[in-house]
Amino acid sequence: MKWLLNILDVWRHELVRSLTDIGSLVFFIIVPLLYPLLYAYLYGNETVKEVPTVVVDDSHTNLSREFLRKADASSDIKIIGHCANLKEAEELIHRHEAYCLVYIPAEFQKNIVEGKQAVVELYSDMSGLLYYKAVLSACTEVSLEMNQDIKTERLIGATKEQAETFAYPIKYEYVPMFNTQSGFATFLIPAVLMLIIQQTMLLGIGMLQGDERERRRKGFIDEHLQGKRPLEIMLGKATSYMNIYIVVAAYLVCIIPPLFGLIHIWQWKDMIAFMIPFLSSCIFFCMFISAFSYDRESFIVLFVFMSVPLLFISGISWPASAIPAVWKTISQAFPSTFGINGFVRLSEMGALLKDLRPEFVGLWIQTIVYFFLTWGAYRRMYKRQ
Amino acid sequence: MIWTVIKREIKRMLTRPLYIFCMVLAPAFAYIFFTSLMSNGLPVDLPAGVVDEDNSTVTRQLIRNLDAFQQTKIVAQYHNFAEAREAMQQGKIYSIYYIPKGTTKLALASKQPTISFYTSASYIVPASLEYRDMKMMSELASGAIARSTLYAKGYTEDQAMAMLQPIKMEMHAINNPLINYSIYLSNTMLPGILMLLIFQLTIYSIYSELKEETSKEWLALTGNNIYKALIGKLLPQLVIWILMGLFCLVWLYGYWGFPLHSGFLPMFGLMVLFIIVSQAFGVFLCGAVPSLRWALSLATLWGVLSFPICGFSFPQMAFPAALRGLSYLFPLRYYYLIYVDQALNGLPFEYSWLYYVCLAAFLALPFLVIGRLKKFLLEYHYQI
Repeated sequence: MKWLLNILDVWRHELVRSLTDIGSLVFFIIVPLLYPLLYAYLYGNETVKEVPTVVVDDSHTNLSREFLRKADASSDIKIIGHCANLKEAEELIHRHEAYCLVYIPAEFQKNIVEGKQAVVELYSDMSGLLYYKAVLSACTEVSLEMNQDIKTERLIGATKEQAETFAYPIKYEYVPMFNTQSGFATFLIPAVLMLIIQQTMLLGIGMLQGDERERRRKGFIDEHLQGKRPLEIMLGKATSYMNIYIVVAAYLVCIIPPLFGLIHIWQWKDMIAFMIPFLSSCIFFCMFISAFSYDRESFIVLFVFMSVPLLFISGISWPASAIPAVWKTISQAFPSTFGINGFVRLSEMGALLKDLRPEFVGLWIQTIVYFFLTWGAYRRMYKRQ
Repeated sequence: MIWTVIKREIKRMLTRPLYIFCMVLAPAFAYIFFTSLMSNGLPVDLPAGVVDEDNSTVTRQLIRNLDAFQQTKIVAQYHNFAEAREAMQQGKIYSIYYIPKGTTKLALASKQPTISFYTSASYIVPASLEYRDMKMMSELASGAIARSTLYAKGYTEDQAMAMLQPIKMEMHAINNPLINYSIYLSNTMLPGILMLLIFQLTIYSIYSELKEETSKEWLALTGNNIYKALIGKLLPQLVIWILMGLFCLVWLYGYWGFPLHSGFLPMFGLMVLFIIVSQAFGVFLCGAVPSLRWALSLATLWGVLSFPICGFSFPQMAFPAALRGLSYLFPLRYYYLIYVDQALNGLPFEYSWLYYVCLAAFLALPFLVIGRLKKFLLEYHYQI
């Protein structure tokens, strides 16, 4: 039973150290606690509403006014002014007072009356993609509604239903699933939560390991590591990190999403079964990388910037099917890739554990691989203990 | 002498792998990573699934046509909706096109059947692109049948189109007509990563002197003149950063040919200013908190938060009011605004001068804390 006592001894020391060292406390507790709050607050509106839009109405007719009235009524855009010509409107866009422009040409009503196709031109500033989406969706909606009425009028004697059947022999409907309003918070926050787990763990463990190295270089002796085998040290440390991150993960998974009204339709059984390999693979991944940490701070400089590429490579920001093979292969070395995808589908899309097979298996493989790599690194690091 | 500090710093830069990694390898990696990831501009052949319960020649043709769209690739046909939904939950497809039984028959009998499509915007980019293709396909499917009826009645093509779609939308995406995602994202993300690295390396290079207990020796070289000491240290770094900034601009506007309607100089000027501001911000953080790890932690917070808060992906107008104000405290916000005015939209300087001024205002920050910083460097002892 000596080995168990050894593990427990390392575990106790590492846990106390993790929670009393102000540096690791920041990464283990404070960042995971506050960062998601900030992100969720920032993206809380989910999508952009009432995008300031200018109009140039060269038609000045009942129909053009009807079109604009209806567009203004949509929640996507807000008409902030009428301009005499395109140049004036452009100026407002350049001054960032408006982001979109709806232009109705002079012959708009004339064309409709004469049975020709009338065009409405939409312009969007491309400093953001959501402006484009807003003006397009608002005006498309209005045009579909007005088209309906115009067609009914043209088919003399036809009812509205007949006119519609004529124009749309096959009707279609669009059903958004899960993230029904294409919200930014719903799309990004779950991914950020999982990334926070891996990245804060990497910075925290890297700092602790670097600290230990620095102390050793300065001649300090860590008594509690003396006379213990590398495997015992490794398991003791891993257990203490696991303790901390079970609490952190519980907060991120169980509290943040309901707090900000994000979808959280996971089942306890599945979520626990998924988080165990995710946390384990993160822990051994971070412990392995941290074996190369020689001082307290350099990991912050080396790894923080990686968070953004890791988010992209996971397949959330940029679709996995469009990621070049070489990046995709590299992405599989990081627990965050599987963690993000698994969590998003589990939490938001109602997937069950059996639907996460590749991610689940991937995380277990990572756990095993990083376990042995860490062991090897620890044997080198602690051979003289 | 300032020269001795410069020479000393160059030696430090060349002998420490952390400098080389942070100043050269990391930014170069980020530039290549993001642009190669999004090299298509728009992702193509995104996997989608079909449930064709009707399975007629008409619906089979429809599916082939949908597959021919650039963004959508039909990777599987499922027997029923539940099966397709499961594939979606397994992450195999982003959307489902559902054709119920009897669609063809009902359409021919003018009984207006309904087809439907489903997307999962948990993956927002592929979902919106496939939505676009599927909507277009559905319009075309209806349109094809309706048009042939009208042609049979003697309508010309123009008349038929006018009949079916009396009002038509024509969308113009100003200066990014193909809606290239890389133009939309890389232009702000790459300088953002460079900024984050500058924050951190500046802090590291200053406070590692404290940690290694060489700070007094460093300041002594300039007769304890903190300005000269800092300039001597940061100048050689600035040269490398400017080269990396130049690499970024040449990479984006030269190699990838992204819109550069302002000409090169305004963007190069912006980049140089932005780099110096980032260094100044790093110095400011050093003076604000007298510890390497605290300054680095703050730099991390500010640097990482810059990405969402500068508003290039999720617009600032949709933030809560408090954060809208906060966003003006982030240098990347001004870089993004100036980039939009200059490179993307090619506006005259007068539209952006205020942003340049605001960005330059960050240069005042180090002066607020320079006294404290000097005191730290001369008196503070690094503690574990």
